[in-house]
Amino acid sequence: MNLRKRWVAGLSVTFALVAAACGSTSTGSNNSANQTGTLTVWLMNGSAPDSVVNETNADFKAKYPNVTVKVEIQQWSDVTTKLDTAFQGSSPPDVMELGNTLVAKYAAAGALLDITGQKASFDNSSTWLQSLTDSCTQGSKLYCVPYYAGSRAIIYRKDLFASAGVSVPTSMDDLLTVGQKLMTAHASDPNFSALYFPGKYWYAALPFIWDFGGDIATQSGGKWSGALDSSNAEQGLTTLTNLVSKLSRADKTGDEAKQDAAFAQGHIAMIIANGWEVGVILDPKSGNPALKDQLGAFPIPSHTQGQNAPVFLGGSDLGVAAHSKHQDLAKAWIALLTGNKHMAEMATVGGVIPNTTSMLNLGTGINATFYNAAANSKFVPNSQNWASVESANVLPDMLVKIFTKQQDIPTATTAASNQISSILNGGS
Amino acid sequence: MGLAITAPDQGPALYSRLRRRLFPYALITPSVAVIGGILAFPLGMLIWISLQHYGLRELINHQGEWVGLGNYQKILVDPLFHAVIVRSLAFTFTCVSLTVALSTLIALLLLKVRRAVRVLVMSALVFVWATPVVVTVDIWQWMFDYEFGIINYLLTQLHLGNFIHHNWFDNPVQGFAVIVAIVVWYSIPFVTITLFAALLQMPSDVEDAARVDGAGSWRRFWYITAPILKPIFLIVICLSTIWNFGIFNQIYILLNQRPSSDYFTIAIYSYRESFGVTQYGLGAAIAVVMVIVLVIVTLFYVRETVKVAEIS
Repeated sequence: MNLRKRWVAGLSVTFALVAAACGSTSTGSNNSANQTGTLTVWLMNGSAPDSVVNETNADFKAKYPNVTVKVEIQQWSDVTTKLDTAFQGSSPPDVMELGNTLVAKYAAAGALLDITGQKASFDNSSTWLQSLTDSCTQGSKLYCVPYYAGSRAIIYRKDLFASAGVSVPTSMDDLLTVGQKLMTAHASDPNFSALYFPGKYWYAALPFIWDFGGDIATQSGGKWSGALDSSNAEQGLTTLTNLVSKLSRADKTGDEAKQDAAFAQGHIAMIIANGWEVGVILDPKSGNPALKDQLGAFPIPSHTQGQNAPVFLGGSDLGVAAHSKHQDLAKAWIALLTGNKHMAEMATVGGVIPNTTSMLNLGTGINATFYNAAANSKFVPNSQNWASVESANVLPDMLVKIFTKQQDIPTATTAASNQISSILNGGS
Repeated sequence: MGLAITAPDQGPALYSRLRRRLFPYALITPSVAVIGGILAFPLGMLIWISLQHYGLRELINHQGEWVGLGNYQKILVDPLFHAVIVRSLAFTFTCVSLTVALSTLIALLLLKVRRAVRVLVMSALVFVWATPVVVTVDIWQWMFDYEFGIINYLLTQLHLGNFIHHNWFDNPVQGFAVIVAIVVWYSIPFVTITLFAALLQMPSDVEDAARVDGAGSWRRFWYITAPILKPIFLIVICLSTIWNFGIFNQIYILLNQRPSSDYFTIAIYSYRESFGVTQYGLGAAIAVVMVIVLVIVTLFYVRETVKVAEIS
C-alpha cells in the first residue's frame, strides 16, 4: 500500500467513524431534527395526569421528530430497589422522577448528573420553591429540577359535619372535641371513623411532632442525633395517640394507601391527605363522584388556638442519570415538562403544587387550602442517609408500636431515635 | 519384530483405558459447568461481597471497599440479628413439624377412603400446589383483612367473640400464627403426595402379618410404616427445612412489603439490609450466615439419608 492509498484509506475510516458516531448518539449534533434514539423516562404512579405527559411528548416530538420517548410508570412501594438496580447498570433510564427525600442519597452516590451549569435554561429557575431547590442541591451543586410539591391538610365531609352540628376545628383540642361529637353522632356505625388515621402514616404524624417544637433529628458539629425522644416530640405523639385511639378505626398496622378508597365508602368524616387525593376520592372507578359537593378541606390545626401546625412538604424532582447516553435530550424533556405551559397544567389538572412561587395563585377552591398549608412547611433531615431511615421503616414501626400499645411512647421513641442517629451518622 | 508387534497393541489399549477413565468426567462436565455457573459463581460472589463495604456508591462504581470479616463482626453483636436467628429457627421447626404431622395424617387417610374421595382430595391438593404463591397470599391477605376480612366476619357471626376490626398482625405471636397457617397450608400438598406415593409402594404383607399378630393401628404405624417410610420422611423434612428457613414471599406480601422488625426472618432481614438500607456487604454477610446455618441443620438429615441409602 503506497502512501496515497494509506491516506485515502485512513480518511475513509475516519469519515465512517464520524458518520457512525453522528448516527448513533443523540448528543453529537446540535440540530434537533437530526437526533435519533430512544429516551426512557421513569415517572411515578399518580404524579402527572396522562394528558400532561402526552402533550409533553407531543411537544418533544415536534422538536425531535426522530427521537422516541418511552415513559414508564413506577410504583412508590418498591421504587428505591428499582432505582438502585437501574443506576448501577450501564443503560439506566435517562430521566427519573425522584421523591424529594431520596435525591440526597443518589446525588451523594454519584448517580445523578450535575446540571448546575444549565440551571438558567429551565423556566422559573429563579422562583423555584425553596424547599424543593434545597432537596436538589448538594454542596452548592444542582442535581435535579424541582417538579412539584405536595402538602397535607384535612379533607372532611361537609354534610357529616353539618348533621353532627360541628364546624371546622381551630385547635388540636378542638379537633378532638369535634371528632368525639362526630363519633357520638355515628355511634350506631361500627365502621365509622371521625378521623381515619392508619398506623404507619408517618407523614401525617410529623405535624404533631413539629407543632409541639419537636423534630426527627438535630445536627450539631456534623453529627446527627435522633430527637424523637425529646419531651416536645413525645408531647406531640401523646396528643396524636389520644386522637387516634378515640377517633380512628383504621388499621393500626396499615398504611395510607387505601385511605381514599375507604373515605369514598362513606364511613369516614376526616382524613389527612394531599390535594391530589381529592381526585382519587371522586374517581368514578375507585371512588365516589357523588361526594363532589360534600368535600371541604382545612389545615391541620396547631395546639395553639387559631394557628396551623407545620406540615411535611413532600414532592418530586426530575433528575438525569449520570450514566445516561442521552443527557441533552433528557434535559430538554425535563425542561418541557417543567416549563410554564405544562407546569400550569400540572397545577390545574393534576391538582399538585407547582414548582414555582410564580404559579401559587393557580390554587383555587379546595386546592387553595393545600397551597396555603405549604407556606408553613418543614422537611426531613437533609442527609444522604435519610433515604435509609425511610427504607428501614423506622417511623412507621415506631408509630405502630405506640398505637398498638406494644410499647409506651418513651420506649418506642428512644429506640427510634437511637436507630435514626445510627443510620444518619453512617451506620445501619 | 516383537517390538513392532507389541507397540501398536499397547497404543490402543492405553488409549482405550484412558478413554474409559476420562469418559465419565467428560459426561459430567456439562452439568458441573452449569451447576458452577448457577450455584458456585453466585455463592462465591456473595462471599466476596460479604467481605467488603458495599453501599450505593460502591454499587454504582462497581467497586467495593475491603473490610475482611468486619461485616460478620457487626452482625454477630447485633441483638436484632440474634432475635432473627432464633425466630427463623422456631418458625422453621413449627412449620416443618406441623406440615409433616398433618401431611402424614392426610396421606394415611387417603389410603382408607373411597376412590372418588381420594380423587377429590388429591385434586384439591394439586390445585393448592399449582397456584402461584403471590396469588394465594393475596387471597389470604384479604381473608384476614382488618376491615373487610371474611375471617373476622365469620368468627363474629359464629359468636366466638367480637372480631369486628380485629387486627391479626398487631401482635406478632398472633401474626406468626397466621403466617404459619398459610405456609403449612401451602406445604401440605407436596409432602402429602410424596408420602402417599411412598405408602402405595409399601409391601402390604408385613402389615398384614402384624395385624394377624394383634398389633393395633398405632403400633403398626410406629413399628412398621414409619421405619419403612423413614427415607422419605428424611427427604421431605430436609426439603421443608430448607424452604421454611428461607421464607420470604409469604411474610413480605402479607405485610404489604413493609414488615416491621418483629416479623423479620433471616431472608427478610438480609433483604432489608441489602436493598432497603443499601448495605449490600452486610446483607451478603447475613445471607452467608443463613447458608451456613442451613448447611449445619440439613447436614444431619443428609447424613441420615445417606446412611439409610447405604443400608438398603
